Amino acid sequence: MLNYSNVIENDKSYPGLQMREIKPVMKLIIRGKKRQFLSAVGKSLNLLLPNEANTSSRSDQLTALWLSPDEWMIFSNEILKSDDNNYDVEKLLNKNICKTNLGAVTDVTDQFVLINLKGDKIFDLFETGSPFNFNDFKSKKGLVTQTILTKIDIIVHNQDINDVNLFVRRSFSDHLFSWMNDSASRL
Amino acid sequence: MFLINCPFCGEREQSEFKAGGEAHIVRPKQPTELSDDQWAEYLFMRKNIKGIQFERWNHIHGCRKWFNMVRDTSNDEIKAVYKMGEKPPVK
Repeated sequence: MLNYSNVIENDKSYPGLQMREIKPVMKLIIRGKKRQFLSAVGKSLNLLLPNEANTSSRSDQLTALWLSPDEWMIFSNEILKSDDNNYDVEKLLNKNICKTNLGAVTDVTDQFVLINLKGDKIFDLFETGSPFNFNDFKSKKGLVTQTILTKIDIIVHNQDINDVNLFVRRSFSDHLFSWMNDSASRL
Repeated sequence: MFLINCPFCGEREQSEFKAGGEAHIVRPKQPTELSDDQWAEYLFMRKNIKGIQFERWNHIHGCRKWFNMVRDTSNDEIKAVYKMGEKPPVK
């Protein structure tokens, strides 16, 4: 981790809603279009990238989120050591994807902040500031969407029922978390 | 406000998108042979009609992909949405 300080200092809890930052978690964006790219990633990580829009796939160690037809985010399921910014997964993908000109790998560990939300009021909170229709989304485990929350770009991953991962750009995270606390206090 | 069916992500609200102007404008094959007026016509002049218009849109707060849309500008009715490179499904 390049940035050792937590953006969000305290976990917050409200009736039916708990919010906390999870760090350090490795996050990579990978991009590619070719069929060989998909199979090379699959072989390297032992994880099939989701082809279907707005879905995710998961292995023991990694989760892959569909972001666009040629773009995925991969993040580690477990918390990693904070004293190191080198990841074996990134090195492996650099070797098998970048050096073979199949696609691109970008480390976005420090660019995105991961906020985990738990509770049955998560989508009540989102509905106060997002134009996305969460009605079908909230009942299906593994769905992913990129949308806006209080005019800030976010990635929402429905990890489990009443357990959601939210990715937001670091520079917006403090303001977003403050807004979420304000909104949650009024639910 | 209206809903747009992104060809990649599905139905989303208009505020997630950005309009990218008129679609299907072909770049001249020999720009150096054009007069200034013809070049300005290609570069700047756009239709702004009341009725059915072919437009480019970008799902800027979603998948960030460009696509085309046929929209009736008089009532915002979306007639069709199709990917870049595809032929317009309606005329």
